Amino acid sequence: MPYAPEHDETPNPLRAGLRSDSAADPCAVVIFGASGDLAHRKLVPALYNLAISGHLPAAFGIVGVSKSEMSHEQFARDMREAVGKFSRTKPVDPEVWQDFAAGMRYVPGSFEDPDTFARLRTELDELDRTRSTRGNRLYYFATPPSAFPVLLRQLSTAGLITKPNDARHTRVVIEKPFGRDLASARALNRLVLETCDERQVFRIDHYLGKETVQNLLVFRFANSVFEPIWNRRYVNHVQITAGEELGIEGRGRYYEEAGVLRDMIQNHVLQLVCLSAMEPPVAFDADAVRDEKIKVLRAIQAFESPEQVGRNVVLGQYSAGSIAGADVPGYQEEKDVTKGSRAPTFVGVRLDIRSWRWDGVPFYIRSGKRMPKRATEIAVHFQPLPHSLFGEGATQPNVLIIRVQPEEGITIRFSAKVPGERYRPRTVSMDFRYGTTFAAASPEAYERLLLDAMRGDQTLFTRRDEVEAAWKIVGNILRVTESADAPPPHPYRAGTWGPKEADELLRREGRAWRRL
Amino acid sequence: MSDGFGEPISAGGSPHAGELTVRFDKTIDLTRIEALLRQARERGGVAPETVATLNLVAVYFNAAQYERARESLEVAGALHPCRLVVLIGDELIEQESLGAAVSVVRSGGAITVERIVLSATGRSVRHLESAMMGLLRPELPMVVVWGGRPQGGLLRHVAESADRIITDSGARPPTFLPELAKLLASGAPIGDLAWSRIFPWQSLAADTLDLPNLREHRGNIRKARVVCAGAVGAEGLLLLGWVQSRIRRVEVEIAAEGHAEPEDPSQHSTPIPRAAPVGLGHVKLFELVAPPATISLVRERGILLAQVRGDDDGFCAHRLRLPPETPGRLLAAELRLLSGTDELYAQAAQLAAKLVAERS
Repeated sequence: MPYAPEHDETPNPLRAGLRSDSAADPCAVVIFGASGDLAHRKLVPALYNLAISGHLPAAFGIVGVSKSEMSHEQFARDMREAVGKFSRTKPVDPEVWQDFAAGMRYVPGSFEDPDTFARLRTELDELDRTRSTRGNRLYYFATPPSAFPVLLRQLSTAGLITKPNDARHTRVVIEKPFGRDLASARALNRLVLETCDERQVFRIDHYLGKETVQNLLVFRFANSVFEPIWNRRYVNHVQITAGEELGIEGRGRYYEEAGVLRDMIQNHVLQLVCLSAMEPPVAFDADAVRDEKIKVLRAIQAFESPEQVGRNVVLGQYSAGSIAGADVPGYQEEKDVTKGSRAPTFVGVRLDIRSWRWDGVPFYIRSGKRMPKRATEIAVHFQPLPHSLFGEGATQPNVLIIRVQPEEGITIRFSAKVPGERYRPRTVSMDFRYGTTFAAASPEAYERLLLDAMRGDQTLFTRRDEVEAAWKIVGNILRVTESADAPPPHPYRAGTWGPKEADELLRREGRAWRRL
Repeated sequence: MSDGFGEPISAGGSPHAGELTVRFDKTIDLTRIEALLRQARERGGVAPETVATLNLVAVYFNAAQYERARESLEVAGALHPCRLVVLIGDELIEQESLGAAVSVVRSGGAITVERIVLSATGRSVRHLESAMMGLLRPELPMVVVWGGRPQGGLLRHVAESADRIITDSGARPPTFLPELAKLLASGAPIGDLAWSRIFPWQSLAADTLDLPNLREHRGNIRKARVVCAGAVGAEGLLLLGWVQSRIRRVEVEIAAEGHAEPEDPSQHSTPIPRAAPVGLGHVKLFELVAPPATISLVRERGILLAQVRGDDDGFCAHRLRLPPETPGRLLAAELRLLSGTDELYAQAAQLAAKLVAERS
């Protein structure tokens, strides 16, 4: 992030007009939970790839903190193995790695023990001296949420959190889940903001790091042809799907607690709703964008009664089935899942956004595990023709599909004449595919988000009020679906697009889910 | 007109694998070229999707110049899918000849580069410009890569129709800069790979002056000094021109020391591109003197290092990893700007041209 000069300071004469992509400020990244999966699979490979692409400042260091006993060298070896396995660029470049690993340190210890933080301070001071990290810190909480309070308290007590206006910056990146309901999210926000300023807090939602999700903003606000029709006059309804063919992949304990509403809807899917439905921001900066997103969340009509939830929400849980020719077990046969579990692995929801732009346009969202394939997309269905010249049912309404993953891109479906002497329309697709149009490999979501956090750009991170507003929406559903007298989720066979009741959600309004 | 597929063509060198070539007698038949392009697209079955974001026109004055730049153009084309029209006009060969070689580059299931190489010798060179205009894809911006000296009417015509012209003053003697500055002054939308090459030096210098203990020196920079490898080159001159454009009344000094670094053979054995070795005329050292402090930016292999004397003695103040800067990647970086002039570059080039005049 460019340094903001104080009033009595001479402005930097060499800064103005530079066109180069600047690397991030010098800093030390401290990963709490460094022996865990996230650090191995995502964080350290992402940092390494930033080094490869030249975005990482050379004045940089990583300090891993976790309970496992390990030396600096063992930690570096462990991370090299992880990078070799999980990095998107292979093989590991020895020259880049040598410099990258030279800034790696490890602090073993319990988060409860103040001595761990005293040793952390020693390592950070040493990095300041030897790697010129200049007192800048990025703390990454790659830990279960239960560890957040103690980490914040210990960092604060050890004097490792600077004031927001200090020249040495402290930033804290917090992984989801950010709370498990509105009350716990509020409590956690209070706790975080007792030790940090909101400007120092980066609540990460890796969906926002995906190129296609960011492209949604460019697509909507850098093209003049779409914005005029992006409203209730032209849009009939919107479908958002986030499906995975994977099951819970050994995370039974987590999933039993979370379920699909906490795991996907409260964060990723509602973010997609926000970006699809928001008004143009007044500027492309963190607060202007987030101000518009929060308005969408506030405009989503709350479900205030069990009847409303019953009419607009369908939960499901997968049973044994087969995906791509392979038999897969049902949710209740998965490891660490209790028999008779009521945790939903699928949800379909009909949302109404009560705003000038969207009133009367339903947003249907669905997300599930063990779907036939991995597919995340936003499909904007336009109004049908008021009068068909070419015969009843001869044309289909236009659909604009933004594919978030895989095959990232945009497709618009429209009618074209089938060659021949008669006027026979057929629906055809016009395709834009990221992979072929821009041959450059897209950075992983974590690369983009870590770089933004190091630069201090919060645009792609969720703000306190956003998190709470999203929990309010999901909380209203959870209050009903997790009550003792709520019916269990509808079973659906693994390898299908959810229970038939989810189809009914649209069918009763004369619509159907897109076949993906 | 005679056409011979697979025949060598004069001035264009030997055909490359997958190229379809054609010779013309007097005029260039654009329909024939379009037909060859269709044929190239459809090789191996149904033509895949063709994507293009710009018309990239590359101009060279002999086949060898193009062969040296061929890979760079392909790399840049992969990052910015395009119709690539290469013009090779060799007037030193008296015998007139006209020919075209057509091929496509496929990537990720689509055609990302449609390449048409037009070669001419002798008086036939005059046909290249009009043929090029007829081969551009409509609606897309036109960026010209200029591979030689700014000579003749061709560049003037190209400058009039192109949205942007990219050259590499670093590959030419410093006297090229005043010629370039003249074109810039007339409003030609010129980009320069030598300018892209000094981005890391500029960033590091600016970042260093943002460091808390060095901000006090911002208003006190009296002198800037650059040392180039082996000979004074355009990068060093542009770097000083940039400093002069940002800081009034700064004294500047440029010198050449030592030699260029030899090519690193391991550069080609890794799939990951590295920072290029320090070439002839490239910057080795950049110093800003703000008494009592001197901020020195030096290059150590792939790292730029900022050191400060007279303030934090001998202490490494800041480090920056140099990005890989193969010509293809530099060109791809320059292609991010598809029209207009980088004003900062235009100012730096004018001042760099003055430095050249003062030195001669």
